[in-house]
Amino acid sequence: MKPLNLSLAHQRTDIEPRSGPGPLFLKRLPVGLTITGFRESVDWLDITVPPFDEEGLALVFLSYKGDLQIVLGNGKDLMQPISPGLALLSAGDKPMLFRSVTPVVFSAVVLFLSRSWIADFMKSNGNFEKIEQALQLDPNIVTCRLGRRQLSLLSSILAYDPGSGGNLLEIQNNALGLLEYFCCHRHRNLPGAGAGEAIGNEDDLSLIKEVESYISEYYCSDQFTVDSILKKTYTSYHKLNFLFKSIHGMTISEYIRNKRIEKSKEMIADNAKSISQIAYEIGYSSISNYILAFKKIYQITPGKYKKQISA
Amino acid sequence: MSYVSLENSEPFLKCFEVIAEDKSCIVSDSVLYFSGATGKGFITAAGIPTGIDILAVNVSMLTDDLTFNFLPSQSASSYILSFDEIGFPGKTDNELSLVSASMPGERSGSSVSITDSDYGKIVVYPKEREIRSLIVRVQKSSLGNLIPDFDAGTIQSIMASANSPSLNWPITFKYRLLINDFMAEIVQHPFRELFTIRNISILVEYLLQQFFVMDKLGKDGDYLSGQDMHNLSKVEQYLCANYRTEFPGVEKLSRISAMSPTSLKTKFKKYYGETLFGYYQKNKLEHARKLLDGKVPVKVVATEIGYSNPSHFTLAFKKEYGFSPWHYLNPQ
Repeated sequence: MKPLNLSLAHQRTDIEPRSGPGPLFLKRLPVGLTITGFRESVDWLDITVPPFDEEGLALVFLSYKGDLQIVLGNGKDLMQPISPGLALLSAGDKPMLFRSVTPVVFSAVVLFLSRSWIADFMKSNGNFEKIEQALQLDPNIVTCRLGRRQLSLLSSILAYDPGSGGNLLEIQNNALGLLEYFCCHRHRNLPGAGAGEAIGNEDDLSLIKEVESYISEYYCSDQFTVDSILKKTYTSYHKLNFLFKSIHGMTISEYIRNKRIEKSKEMIADNAKSISQIAYEIGYSSISNYILAFKKIYQITPGKYKKQISA
Repeated sequence: MSYVSLENSEPFLKCFEVIAEDKSCIVSDSVLYFSGATGKGFITAAGIPTGIDILAVNVSMLTDDLTFNFLPSQSASSYILSFDEIGFPGKTDNELSLVSASMPGERSGSSVSITDSDYGKIVVYPKEREIRSLIVRVQKSSLGNLIPDFDAGTIQSIMASANSPSLNWPITFKYRLLINDFMAEIVQHPFRELFTIRNISILVEYLLQQFFVMDKLGKDGDYLSGQDMHNLSKVEQYLCANYRTEFPGVEKLSRISAMSPTSLKTKFKKYYGETLFGYYQKNKLEHARKLLDGKVPVKVVATEIGYSNPSHFTLAFKKEYGFSPWHYLNPQ
């Protein structure tokens, strides 16, 4: 089998690329699974889990700090933000690209389940067939949110050092634990890889859905505040923030700001209104606040952006 | 008395037919349920095509002894690992130790063993007991699928040096916890194969650790008498059962075991590879870890396992595992 092809492309020239990046280890476990681990702390990240030669399924367990996005397909379509602490299952021959444009601490464990292994261990298991069916649907990824226990398994796998004679049996047990967790707690196919059903609790899910629809309805109003959401849904700020953070990877106010700025970007592209008009229309009471917020996300002021796209 | 005998190569599932005929049992989806008349509980079998068979027995109050006879066979050479825990039903853990203490002749029968199937093996599950048992049959050739760098020669030579087709060890809390978890989930688990292979892999890890630790301990000392082992297992059970209260003290344990404190300490260390307090503490913290996994807050866990002060618990946890409970919950 071909080893993982790891490319760590550093697109910005002012930052020295870290030397010798690569998987921490690549091992074939006695039960027949192949396991690799990554741990990177870099300013830019571009990691591909490329097609394996053998037919099978690749299961990626992710944990990171920073801003990570997944690119599906051949790298052009679908750029999705994903949340930390996630497992992604995809066919072994479909590449998955993880990209970050900001400094990121990235760690991942990739399990490869070959076809013959699946045939041996999952023979006529109806539940597994369901997972495979879900994998047939677009976007060909099945995700699952990891809990604390799973994250600690993940970090203990990554602590494995084949050089100093680590215990492979323990790695195997941890890996099987992760795999089992994934199979039991997988979610249905999600639009995009991650958001939405990442939280197991039904109540929390419906709460988030309610809040999201409320936000998308009112976010342009200048009367709209986070407090008004709290009053409407009878939740605490901390709880809501926690849920948002685990689903979208950002706080609720960041989420609202992103939504507003995205909207304003569209409005700028329409080229029908002035910047100050746009700022007031999307609910900013002061134009300088708006410019600052825009700059924070796109690293460019709205005025310059307008010039860029009209040029 | 029901008697089941199996050829070495036959799948465990086959024994269900025999038992079901004999008793009023219900078989569904490779699980055999005992109806109230002949016992309570279930027996289930799982197999993985790579040469591993598992028979999980979780029954209580059998009206008859149940015997499995694994006939020797030369065609497919394998090891039979068995993990048995046999207790008295209807008693709380606390009473249990008193009961077994008052019946000197009674063997608890709880043990872990590895047997070369070339010699066959007979397993008897006594009536009117609470039985949790796992029998794992691994083909020698596929043991390498579980253990990295498997060297069949080592196990073979240790067994040869003990001059016995079968080796026995005492069951410890690690096995108990695992077997309890296993029995709680196996029947309803949606991925039975995966669940089984994971647990078996962990069991094998424990077994191998014990295998080599015990082998070393056995070499540099004389063997214990049967009575000693029985007394030690009473102490072990007592320690396991009373993890919620504070450490009973060597005095009390020596009364339970009918040994002097000094000989209890040395023999316990020899038999279980741990000091008395070390064993008690490990069991206690393992319970704590399970509670933490179940999202119980640290403060509550500390009280639950008998610490009056959460920071004492944190210290003990850190000493044992190298990280605090908080770091266990928040690994990054």
